[in-house]
Amino acid sequence: MRLLNFKKLSSLDLVGVGLLIFLLLVPYVVPVVLNDFWVNIIAELMIWSLFAASVNLLFGYTGLLSFGQALYFGMGAYGVAFGFEYFDLSFWPAFLLGVSLGTLFAAFAGIFAVRLTWHYFAIITVVFSLIFYFLAVGTKELTGGDDGLPISVPPVLKFGQFELSLFDLTFQYYFIMVIVGLAFYMKWRVLESPLGRAFVAIRENDKRASLIGLNAYKIRYLSFVLSGLLASLSGVLFCLFSRYATAQNLFWTVSGEGVVWMIVGGAGTLFGPAVGAALLIVLREELSMYWEHYLLIVGVIVIVVVTFAPHGIMGLIKDLLGSRNSKLTGSDNGELLEKQGGTGNE
Amino acid sequence: MASTRRSFLKSFLAGGVLGQTINLTFAKNLFAGTSGDPIIIGHQCELTGGISSWGYWLNKAAEEAVKHLNSNNGIAGRPVKLVTEDTETNPPTGARKFRALVQRHKADFVLGSVHSGVNLATVPIAKELKTIYIPNGMAAEMTGKKGNRYTFRVGSDTYSQAAAGAEWATKNLGNEWTFLFADYGWGWSHFNEHKPILEKIGAKVNPPIAVPLDAKDLLPYLAKIPKSTTQLYSIFFGSQSVALYTQSKSMGLDKDMARYSVLCTHEAISPKDIGGASDGVNLLEYHPRMLKYKDTPHNRKLRDLMGVDEADAREKGSKRILAGSHFWQVWESVFFIQKAVEKSGWKSKKDTPDFIQALEGMKVSESFEHPQGDKYIRAKDHKAVINFHMSKVENGEIHVKHQISAGRIEKFFPARYDFTKESF
Repeated sequence: MRLLNFKKLSSLDLVGVGLLIFLLLVPYVVPVVLNDFWVNIIAELMIWSLFAASVNLLFGYTGLLSFGQALYFGMGAYGVAFGFEYFDLSFWPAFLLGVSLGTLFAAFAGIFAVRLTWHYFAIITVVFSLIFYFLAVGTKELTGGDDGLPISVPPVLKFGQFELSLFDLTFQYYFIMVIVGLAFYMKWRVLESPLGRAFVAIRENDKRASLIGLNAYKIRYLSFVLSGLLASLSGVLFCLFSRYATAQNLFWTVSGEGVVWMIVGGAGTLFGPAVGAALLIVLREELSMYWEHYLLIVGVIVIVVVTFAPHGIMGLIKDLLGSRNSKLTGSDNGELLEKQGGTGNE
Repeated sequence: MASTRRSFLKSFLAGGVLGQTINLTFAKNLFAGTSGDPIIIGHQCELTGGISSWGYWLNKAAEEAVKHLNSNNGIAGRPVKLVTEDTETNPPTGARKFRALVQRHKADFVLGSVHSGVNLATVPIAKELKTIYIPNGMAAEMTGKKGNRYTFRVGSDTYSQAAAGAEWATKNLGNEWTFLFADYGWGWSHFNEHKPILEKIGAKVNPPIAVPLDAKDLLPYLAKIPKSTTQLYSIFFGSQSVALYTQSKSMGLDKDMARYSVLCTHEAISPKDIGGASDGVNLLEYHPRMLKYKDTPHNRKLRDLMGVDEADAREKGSKRILAGSHFWQVWESVFFIQKAVEKSGWKSKKDTPDFIQALEGMKVSESFEHPQGDKYIRAKDHKAVINFHMSKVENGEIHVKHQISAGRIEKFFPARYDFTKESF
């Protein structure tokens, strides 16, 4: 019940509470101050935050750099689209189909991928992603190929004449917020559990971890599947949000964006990737209006952050706020985790 | 002359006043005869990415069309504002840019991308945001099984292209067809649209050969083409298109069979720039690249606005080749919007249902606003019925050999959907 005790909240926690209040008010405040478009952008941003969180679970906590998360993201999107278009499913069964399909792909790919580490692991994940990208592009009758598969989204809930639908942008916003919030909560619980500490132990030194009885292969596999679950959940949400599934979602550049968001925001922190995604997506929206080659600026920002703030923006924020229990003073997140006796997930 | 702080400030202020005066005068002339709130036309365009060589021309055409409107009383006396957003040739980005155009820039109408994937990602959102969307991609689905009442087409699609070329090509190029294409939606769409028409007219269709997107060497796939083939229909883009022309010629296939494709595979590329590899290829054009085959005052004037030469349609002072079969779609879309607004009395987005009914079935005659030719937008499926041209690459130029009128196409091109029954 730490969050309810305001006296014990750190400066960083207070920023988090302020941000949560802002997110709750977005559909009512943002259209007045800006316009509806930004409500959608913030909703999209939450989805991408979840995707970046899936990359972070693997790299930031387990030490596995994946360039293949797009596969589970894309399969989640296709799962929900197939549910609506081919099986005529209602909302929730299709939702579950999407999450299950993406997670099953992760469970399959993980059997082979987690036998490897570092660059070998990165290569095998990108190869898996490319194989299914080309398959999806080539099977137009099923996937719509590169043209994609537009969908009609049925109501989320329906009681007689009353229905809740994603076509109501306010409801859509809160729907995404609740699902993403639950996913982050689930991730936090896992990271606080012995399993989460095992992820970090494997990341820090898998040989030492083995000596205390941890099975590195099994733990990496669990992290991989859990990360795939988060990626597929974000894919499902993105398909529902964009009303469309496409083979482009499976391409490695989508995975690459997740990696960049995570690094800029701060790997190994619960909300760092969300901060990175938020910053770069807002920059993208503003800069792309004025200069079509805005990615050059984004690239420079990434280089600057990686060079001068190796712990990402969250690391900088923690330093600036002087958070009493999370100040980054060590050379890596491992030191932080040791000090906290936890997983660095504030 | 030495410059002091005082003289600098004087010059700065004088320059500012002069500049503002020029600016106001220019703006006044630019919107001559218009008043009231501007009508905002959004343009979802490929300014960067894989097909930005086309996007450049679509953007230029949209800008020139809006400039022309504003110096000629605008639309219904109101000025017109054009807002362009770059899709980066990426469907999710393109869909987001459509939302930005409508929700952020308050676009009343949106001219669509030339990328089918971007179009299909946008079509459901157009309906949701109740905004008119005029895409320029070639996939038949967006004014077909995935279409809706808010989406219109003013140019061709794979369905009308198959209807236009199949009969003439069978009679004149050969009746045994083999389809060779890059293994993605565009190629399959051409095969699937052609097959029923070809079977109806008694042509033989061999099994299709789909080439992986990353294949650099096409020889293994060219070797699979049955010897009895009299006509090779190919759909490739960019470097694969050049590889096909080069390698099929080096294998001598051009002597054994006719090679046929749509102009899209050669759009914004001059045959001269690929060393004559495509010489002898038949191409279905939607508007002739060479001015002499459509040398009307309207076309001449429009090409002057685009700044291109008469033969290769190459931009003066650059190496760009006009996307001649596509740029006119954006140009004409702007004037279709003008006509439908003025016909329906559209004032704001609440009048969009009236606008839709005005555009459904609208006929236009060849003019400066519609230089491609007479055409109409079929009410039921929102597809345009247009004229085509069968051309051939000869000595590095694309020469028209045969005109295919809109009337001849319709027998193979019936409406398969009826959006008029859909509520607003």
